[in-house]
Amino acid sequence: MLKKDLILRNPLRLMGRETGHVLSEGGFGAVVARAGVGKTALLVQLALDHLLRGEDVLHVSLDQPVKKVCLWYDEVFRHIRDQYELPQAEELWESILPHRFIMTFNVDGFSVPKLEERVTDLTAQGLFEPQVLLVDGLPFDEAVREPLSEMKIFVREQGLRAWFSARAHRSAKPGEAALAAPLADVADFFEVILQLTPKGPEVEVQAAKMPEGAAAEGGIVLDPNTLLIKNKKG
Amino acid sequence: MKKDPNKVRNIGISAHIDAGKTTLTERILYYTRRIHAIHDVKGKDGVGATMDFMELEKERGITITSAATYCDWNDHEINIIDTPGHVDFTIEVERALRVLDGGILVLCSVGGVQSQSITVDRQMARYKVPCIAFVNKCDRSGANPMKVVDQLREKLGHNAVAMQVPIGLEADLQGVVDLVTMKAVYFDGENGENVRIEEIPDHLRAEAESRREALIDAASMFSDELMEAALEGEVPEDLLRAAIRRGTLTRELTPVFMGSAYKNKGVQPLLDAVTYYLPAPSEVENVALDMDRDEAPVTLESDPGKPLVALAFKLEEGRYGQLTYIRVYQGTLAKGDTIMNSRTGRKVKVGRVVRMHSNQMEDIESIPAGYIGALFGIDCASGDTFTSPDVHYSMTSMHVPEPVISLAIKPADNKAQDNMSKALSRFTKEDPTFRTYVNHETGDTIISGMGELHLEVYIERMRREYNAEVITGKPQVAYRETITRRAEFNYTHKKQTGGAGQYGRVAGWMEPVADEEFVFENQITGGAIPTEFIGSCEKGFRSAMEKGTLLGVPVTGIKVVINDGQAHSVDSSDMAFQAAARGAFKEGYAKANPVILEPIMKVAVETPAEYQGAVMGSLNQRRGMILGTQDEGEMCVIEAEVPLAEMFGYSTDLRSATQGKAQFTMEFATYRQVPKNIAEELIKKAAEKKKAAA
Repeated sequence: MLKKDLILRNPLRLMGRETGHVLSEGGFGAVVARAGVGKTALLVQLALDHLLRGEDVLHVSLDQPVKKVCLWYDEVFRHIRDQYELPQAEELWESILPHRFIMTFNVDGFSVPKLEERVTDLTAQGLFEPQVLLVDGLPFDEAVREPLSEMKIFVREQGLRAWFSARAHRSAKPGEAALAAPLADVADFFEVILQLTPKGPEVEVQAAKMPEGAAAEGGIVLDPNTLLIKNKKG
Repeated sequence: MKKDPNKVRNIGISAHIDAGKTTLTERILYYTRRIHAIHDVKGKDGVGATMDFMELEKERGITITSAATYCDWNDHEINIIDTPGHVDFTIEVERALRVLDGGILVLCSVGGVQSQSITVDRQMARYKVPCIAFVNKCDRSGANPMKVVDQLREKLGHNAVAMQVPIGLEADLQGVVDLVTMKAVYFDGENGENVRIEEIPDHLRAEAESRREALIDAASMFSDELMEAALEGEVPEDLLRAAIRRGTLTRELTPVFMGSAYKNKGVQPLLDAVTYYLPAPSEVENVALDMDRDEAPVTLESDPGKPLVALAFKLEEGRYGQLTYIRVYQGTLAKGDTIMNSRTGRKVKVGRVVRMHSNQMEDIESIPAGYIGALFGIDCASGDTFTSPDVHYSMTSMHVPEPVISLAIKPADNKAQDNMSKALSRFTKEDPTFRTYVNHETGDTIISGMGELHLEVYIERMRREYNAEVITGKPQVAYRETITRRAEFNYTHKKQTGGAGQYGRVAGWMEPVADEEFVFENQITGGAIPTEFIGSCEKGFRSAMEKGTLLGVPVTGIKVVINDGQAHSVDSSDMAFQAAARGAFKEGYAKANPVILEPIMKVAVETPAEYQGAVMGSLNQRRGMILGTQDEGEMCVIEAEVPLAEMFGYSTDLRSATQGKAQFTMEFATYRQVPKNIAEELIKKAAEKKKAAA
């Protein structure tokens, strides 16, 4: 299977617009779920989708070391390889790797100006110019509005698309349609909010917020064994 | 030598470069009265630390070979193997871990868990070595031992728990609070030799109490009795220690101690901890393979009365002949005994038995099970198993990585010629990752090993210890060739030059295969190739794979399937089919889009954050693919995959780019295809070289 076919077959498409991007340039998306439901797995699949299109993805993790983030990618890609029986997976993998850059920070040591500084380090030397930003592990607490506002400016200036993972509070009831605070308080920042909810053996991916014109139809779930996105029926 | 194996501890001290393990060992030897003065590692006083006895080690301030030594503490005998920290010398670490029952993982209170600590930790996990941790250098500015405890949890996945709380930090470090006894421990006297126990200072009481609670919580997972006692509010010391010990032995708990070896603080409690929490030889299960029963595993018993099973884990050539470090797992190894080398089947009589203390030795009568000692005048290779002549066991083999770099060397003069061969023969016996051979095409002597520094050290040692001046060529990378698509072959080998002819036809296909060097499959039906020649075909393919057609380097990752062929009743022979297979291989290989593979190294650079950009630039210039950066406050770690061919001289470049403030570690990651333009250059060079040699 060619790279192109793989992109086309990607169930993420169901959520996308014609250009294939759910987010507009400068736009924010969030994946929200309780701990351990599959936020990182979904983020990594979003990243792989962009990587397959040849876009450069900067993955910022605030709670996991580089090695562990790499492992997430290895695992998700391995599952995709097995699911689609990719013949030249090794080659494909090696061709997308240079388009990925992982940056990890301690949660306490992270700040948007610091991130900007690091990204400038990369772009100034022409080492890496991200088009997509993933931020995994940013604490969505009462103080999150400030970093999000700073991030918004940064993302707009750089013309990036940014995905965040947000951990829902334990008190958030499964399947609750309304977003639990504190994400609800900052929902205005986001074009897209995907909510992961365990339903029986599967995890349902629901669009809690979608821009107009995007296919908001549901029916996407995470396979509990591989954490890969698939159509509900498929 | 004591005879109670429960009072023996065989331990290793493992750490990142410069975490201070040699200094720590030095202090341990001082407090246990094995030495009577303390010397600096970098040898300002010209003496150097006791464990780093090789000249070169003194000069570079690094430990290269692991010297074995022993000492007494609290009625226990502790055998220590000082292990090297640099990745190039990993085999030494691995060998040491194989024979040890427990380890001290030394970490720097400022640097925390560094990349090399991760490698060392992985090795400890591979050999299931229980360990305790020591956070050293608490006197340094920026010291934060509790952060290191957190890092042990987060980065290494240890269930780490603080056993102490420091009293003061940085220049103000005075001692530690012991969370088991709930007493403050101070270290008085010129060299901290007088331990003074006091009440906990008031300002630390609350912290000590909450940390003790966490310790009891963690330990009670391993003892119901302790859990009950904790609920009742009365926790006896013995019960708490026993629970911590249980958790440590199963590697489910890592007790963390702290101090500063250099400032003589916290070493004695660490020694106590070795006796409390690390296992005695009898508590560790060791398995040998019974060679007479198809390598069936046999669990060894730490019983001095049973038949002997011992492992030679390190060799050293000294003034008086070969010294063999040996660990006895079962039985007793005594002077005058006859023992058998299970690899060669040869029997030898044990002459001198000694116990080593760094580079001095003392004669002893025997080495009982569980102990480490050394033998004189025994000819063997490292990794050999010695047994009583009535059993035929072998200890499981150690993991030996393939060398990734090689270097041509030439003796500078006639005198050096002899010395060089002597040195090489000794080094290859001592270190299985160091290999040497003569390239028949160029006549050069080639040495190969695990990295630039690895080879450099051996060249230095040739100069210093053997007085052999050698001229070195440019380091060569161990390239490989492989194919990228399926291709068919159908080759007939036919020769008729009077007398008996040669005839054989081999047909089938070859295809790439992952994670295997060579797979051979016979799908011939109906005897197109007679069964007796199938082996000849395989042999022919194997021999053809020794040299690919692009660079003449070994070919790997190929599956060959034969499904047709032809034989002649008179002219077919083993030789003929080998030649036919070689021809078939060449035919298929050319069509299978062969490519060159190069070793890719995993490189981790630790640098102050301000040089991050410069370091990434330097890696990028070397065709490195930066995987990511890990921000750790002042410092940051850059992880990258870089072709080995581009890493020569990197340490010099890195030093100049960062004012010497960054350091890097490197280990083999994988083989990957060489980019096209570079491959073309390599092929051109190989062709020129071949032409010149012809």
